[in-house]
Amino acid sequence: MLIEQIKSIYPSLTDEDFRPIKGTIVIQNDSDGKGDYIAKWEHPTLARPTDEELA
Amino acid sequence: MDDSMSSMILNGDTSGAITVTVPAVAGTNTATLPAATGTVMVSGNMPAFSAYANASQTVSSNVNTKVVLQNKNFDTNNCFDATTNYRFTPTVAGYYQFNAQLFLAGSATTTQINLLIYKNGGSYNERLVDLNPSASLTSDGELIVSGSTIIYMNGTTDYVELYGYYYLGTSTFSQNSQAITSRFSGSLVRSA
Repeated sequence: MLIEQIKSIYPSLTDEDFRPIKGTIVIQNDSDGKGDYIAKWEHPTLARPTDEELA
Repeated sequence: MDDSMSSMILNGDTSGAITVTVPAVAGTNTATLPAATGTVMVSGNMPAFSAYANASQTVSSNVNTKVVLQNKNFDTNNCFDATTNYRFTPTVAGYYQFNAQLFLAGSATTTQINLLIYKNGGSYNERLVDLNPSASLTSDGELIVSGSTIIYMNGTTDYVELYGYYYLGTSTFSQNSQAITSRFSGSLVRSA
């Protein structure tokens, strides 16, 4: 699962970081069979993981 | 114009024609056009649709997930894609009223549900239900979140979709019957 992958890259992230309003990261699934993806990454200190890191 | 005419044909400058017809029904009625500039709305250029989910959809916590709406009650101008993208792309520009409901079956740790109406791939309107921090859905709890908004659509490329979100636990966008399920509807309320 993408969120678990991201959390393993950045162990400091919690579920709170993915919440609406309070969070700074949005994970999205368009129900098109392509799975979850990062729709928005606005974390103030952590960089968006690269495709290689998430592979 | 002949007083006895039951219809009148207006020809376009270069092509096309519109026929104004009075039905053969007894009685005298008055149709008044307002002293304003605009497009006259008739049923043929007022798209309206109603779509719903007819199967439960397993979704992940913390993920904005598009609701799969495979069935339609009606789709007057064939603008709702219930096969691939589950989106409404109206062919008439104007202001549309959209109504949505998300039927969610959560778990004991689910504490937040969010209904999102997306325009052109981004969130436009959200209806968030944050359960009391000391509370949550029960293990077999169900909840319906609903919301509505009016959105301008350009009549060519603009589209809207329904997304849902929940926080913590396991959950599905559930479906009980055609009446109790996730649903999305809309119609033109004012032309551009």
